[in-house]
Amino acid sequence: MTSPTAPDRDFVAELLAACAERDRMALRRLFETEGPTLIALARRIVRRADVAEEVVQDAFVQIWRRASSFDPARGSGRGWVYAVVRNRALSHLRDERHVPVDDIELQSYADAQTDVDDAFARLSAESALRRCLARLDAKPRASVLLAHVAGLSHGEIAERLGAPLGTVKTWIRRSLIALKECMT
Amino acid sequence: MSAREDLDVEAGEYALGLFAPEEADALERRLLDDPAFAAAVGRWRERLHDLDRAAEPVEPSPDLWRRIETQLDDAPSRAPARHAAAPGFAARIWNSLTLWRGVGLAGATASVALAVALGAARMDAPRTPVVIAVLLSADSTPGAVVEVFADNSAHVAPIADVQIPSGRALQVWTLPDPQTGPVSIGLMQDNRQARLQPVRLPAPKPRQLYEITLEPATGSPTGRPTGPILFKGYAEPPR
Repeated sequence: MTSPTAPDRDFVAELLAACAERDRMALRRLFETEGPTLIALARRIVRRADVAEEVVQDAFVQIWRRASSFDPARGSGRGWVYAVVRNRALSHLRDERHVPVDDIELQSYADAQTDVDDAFARLSAESALRRCLARLDAKPRASVLLAHVAGLSHGEIAERLGAPLGTVKTWIRRSLIALKECMT
Repeated sequence: MSAREDLDVEAGEYALGLFAPEEADALERRLLDDPAFAAAVGRWRERLHDLDRAAEPVEPSPDLWRRIETQLDDAPSRAPARHAAAPGFAARIWNSLTLWRGVGLAGATASVALAVALGAARMDAPRTPVVIAVLLSADSTPGAVVEVFADNSAHVAPIADVQIPSGRALQVWTLPDPQTGPVSIGLMQDNRQARLQPVRLPAPKPRQLYEITLEPATGSPTGRPTGPILFKGYAEPPR
């Protein structure tokens, strides 16, 4: 396997290429290096530790099966892997939404705001994303963060922020345009 | 908003996960056949990635890897042949037989269809091809047979159903030399047998790579493959 220290190489992309060639050690290496962050990412969305591990488990099986469809021309290996886990977590959330939540889940759902604040606070000072998010007004910024970090829908964000649905949609669209301009 | 902004906003909303399941499904399909949308989504994932990285790592349960491993299948048919020399990363990507996306492929009934197509191709092509390539889809089902003659003209026989979106065409490529990259050998407006005119290239060699991608109707604007790879395979001389 190649060294992760070379900064200009996409180490995760190389692991994915090896996974496509059925190299289990490459998948294990990916699990060891990215697993802990991916579990944390899933947990912010699904809100439960056991479910977050199930999400990551399913995602790694998908990564193994679909590694050959990763196209380095369309983004980094890490971006692709994180998207697989995020999508898995989001579809779990969608599937589960019709199920009545218990008190513990309601409490953990309330914790989402803490996670969102935490995610922003933990962005490094050099992060362009941090600098550009900081330039947004508070509620539009919160909308983007609640969507990305906690996986909330437009409607849920509206409810959470006490704003009309249309307003939230506009906030997010304008925030996306501002972020894109700021980050290019 | 400009069309460009619309595309970027839609891609951003998709990357944020804001679409309802049925809309998200439609957009997932769009990722496969709209390179501009796919690229825009990719850029959003990179822009937002710092937030993912900022999650405080959680130690996995001791048995999580074992749980994953028991679900893995090794499906050797999807594994490409390993190359003796270690090629550069870009070359490895090009060479990786499994690096494709199947788009709108109906199930190909593999061996029977293959035999029939080969037979048909032979009958109306009295010349002997220098090489023949059976191009496979992402799930390793045969998608097309390409026969290449000494003058680099070719006969292409699709053997799988492909839905070609309006305004798109199939473009056939080969890789005579990994250093110079893929070269187009012809464009097909529909998924029917076609003869491709001779192109000025060195005579095809064994193990030369051929592939078919989905491109704009007038062909790739860049001269290189830009759309999803439908079928891909190595050529061999007939025995």
